[in-house]
Order: sequence, then structure tokens, then C-alpha cells
Amino acid sequence: MADTQWPRYEVFLQEKQGDPFVDVGSVHAPDAEMALLNARDVFVRRPACHALWIVPVEAITARTAQELQEQPLPDELPAPPSGELQAYHVFIKTRQAGPQTFTGFIEAASPEEALMLAATILSPTPPPLGWWVFPSEAVLQNDPEDEAAFFEPAQDKPFRLSTGFHTVSAMRKIKSNPPTPPGEDPT
Amino acid sequence: MIPALYHALAEYLLAPADDELILGHRDSEWCGHAPIIEEDIAYANIALDEIGHAALWYETIASLLGEDPATYPDRMVYRRAADEYRCAQIVELPNGDWAFTMLRQFLLDSLEITRLDFLQEFPYPPVAEAATRLRKEETYHHRHSRLWVTRLAQGTPESHARMQAALDELWPYTRQLLMPLPQEPLLVEAGYLPPGDPIHAGWGSTVLPVIAAGGLAVPAVPDGPVPARSEHTQHLHVLLAEMQSVPRMDPGAGW
Repeated sequence: MADTQWPRYEVFLQEKQGDPFVDVGSVHAPDAEMALLNARDVFVRRPACHALWIVPVEAITARTAQELQEQPLPDELPAPPSGELQAYHVFIKTRQAGPQTFTGFIEAASPEEALMLAATILSPTPPPLGWWVFPSEAVLQNDPEDEAAFFEPAQDKPFRLSTGFHTVSAMRKIKSNPPTPPGEDPT
Repeated sequence: MIPALYHALAEYLLAPADDELILGHRDSEWCGHAPIIEEDIAYANIALDEIGHAALWYETIASLLGEDPATYPDRMVYRRAADEYRCAQIVELPNGDWAFTMLRQFLLDSLEITRLDFLQEFPYPPVAEAATRLRKEETYHHRHSRLWVTRLAQGTPESHARMQAALDELWPYTRQLLMPLPQEPLLVEAGYLPPGDPIHAGWGSTVLPVIAAGGLAVPAVPDGPVPARSEHTQHLHVLLAEMQSVPRMDPGAGW
């Protein structure tokens, strides 16, 4: 059967200006523009978002530290057909359950070269558990002018926060103090 | 503002308030049924937004009429009969397919952003402040529905045909939607709203290019009288019967 799923886009969120972009998950969408809207709806329901990036998953080259150890990148990579340099976004994961987090840009001729250069030039400490790189041109960022319409309204919606709901404590109270069934004499 | 105008303004605002409420309720019916999970989340949020907008207008109306803004919205939603509602018939119609839902949303969002642009300048501050708050969210709603209308209209032969069918069915209802609202002439005359129906014109310049870009044909509009906003389809009765069922069973219920 043909795959009826829409393409998947990885979503990166920046909470405050100056913070690193952090991987928060992925969305399906028919195209990048719709992916940006879906990302906003799925991942910005809680307040605290300054900007979003979305990237088609197939643009991402991922390597774990273990993979790099078992299959190290060669010291010198064969020259890619174009030989042209382009900018790559580099993300690293530093904790086992932690997210991929933006760490810098690298100019390289291929994703493999970007990985190799990132390890040498950015040389993050402690050594990361995993790497993601993707061409910067694959990234779609929300238009800064959309910030008001995209992210500000969430701040007016405290009903979206679990702290506003007391279902568990309310149920506990009801259970420990059951109401008298109708028609029954409470004495 | 002279006291008589408070009542006129309250009556005027009831129309967009009821449009938002009933549209929001229809939107909420998609919760759990939207085409993909991302859209399910998106559209449930839009439903909440629209109902929130209605609540904000009901609160504004309450302050104009000297009512309690804390209890007035619930009273307006749960204790009114269909003929007391002032929503346009277009929002009462059942959801139909996704093309129908997205096109209706787009036609309404286009009207909202146009009207709110004027209401943001309204000389009575509570209205201007509410309009400014709503305008931000409607910018996003409008973008969402516009992208969907464009993609379905330009998509496959089936999605295009469904969008055209939706346009054929919805277009006649825009006549009533775009009529001047109750008390609008009075507010225009008093200088509170701009003369010459610029909202209608603004709506057209927002909607028509999207329809044209989608290769959709604008249907002919039938002649004949346009129903007042107090006249409703049978669908509103069914909707209210369900929406008001719990408060009718247990009028003092809290949740």
C-alpha cells in the first residue's frame, strides 16, 4: 500500500530571544508553510515561545556517538560532486533523555564533512551523545512579524495550563465524602 | 458616549458575539475527527479561541448594559431561545466535509479581520481594547483557513471539486452575513463607525483574490429578500438543544 502519510518536519523551538533552539518533536504537513502552522499549534500551546524552526526530516543527517565510534568518518572525505560549500546547522545532544540543542553553524561541502568539522571546530565538552546536521537552507523560520499572532495569544490562556484544573483533588474530595443519593434519608 | 448609544452598541456587538459562539461550537464538533492529529489539535484550539472571543464580547456587552460580566456570558449562551440569537445563518449550517468547514471558516475569518481593523479604532475604549486582543488571534486563524482553502482548491481534481461545491453552497449565505448589523446605521450616523460600508468592501478584497487563485467560480447570487439576523435555520435549534441540554437539566450546576 502506498504511504498516505504527509511528509514529516522536525520542530525546533526557541523559548526566549538568545536561547538556543531546541528540538521539541515533529509534525506531519503537506508542505513547509503548513508545517509551521502545525508546529505552532502542537508545540506552542503553553506560553514561552519566541521563534520556531521547521526542517524536513530527510534533510537531517544524524549520528550517535556510538555510530561515530564504530564507523568513524574518514580524515579526508572524497570531494562532493559540486564541491561548493554551504552552511549547516549543527545540533548536539548532551544528556541521554535530553533534546537535540542548537550549538552552531558550520560551512561544509557535505553533511558528513559538516559532522567532521563540527566535532573538530565546535568541539563541545563534554563530548555529545549524538549529532544532527542539516543544510541551513532547509530551515523555515516563522516571520518575526508573525510573533504577535503566533505566540502572544497563548499568554492569555491560563486555562491551557494543568495548574488551573483541580480535577484530581476535587474527585478525591467527592470520593471521601459521597453525596447522599436522592430520596434517601441522610439521618 | 450618550446613554442611548450604549444600548445600540450592545445590540450591534451581539451579532459578532453570536457568530463567534456558534462558529466556535461547530468547530468544536471536529474535535477527535479532524483529518490528521496535528489539525485536530489546531482546530480544537481555534474552536476555543472563537468561543473565547464570544465570551469577551458578551462581557463587553454586559458592561455596556450594567449587567454582571461574570454571569452574563453563561446566561446569554445557555438561557436564550433560538429567536433571541443574532448569529448569521452561515455559521449554523452543519460542518459538511473539510472543504466546506475550511471555506466557511475563511469567509468568517476574512470578515472578522476586516471588521476588527475598524473596531480597533472604536472611540469607546473597552471595544477598541477587545478588538485589538481578538485581532491578533484572527490573524492566525485567517492564515490557517486561507492556506487550507488555497491548497484544497489547487490540489487534486477531487479536492478542487469539493471546494467548488462548498463555495456554491456557502456563497448565497454571505448575503445575509454581509448585511449591515443591527444598529449599525445609528452608530455610523453618530460617527462611531465609518460610512459607506468599507467592511463589506474589505471583505471582498480579502476573499476574492483567494477564490480566483484557486480557480474557483463565484456562483451567481439569488435575488430576493435577505433574512434578518433574528431568522434562523432549523440547524440552530438542533445545535442549541444539545449545547443547552446540561444547564437545562441542572440549572445551577457548577463545573
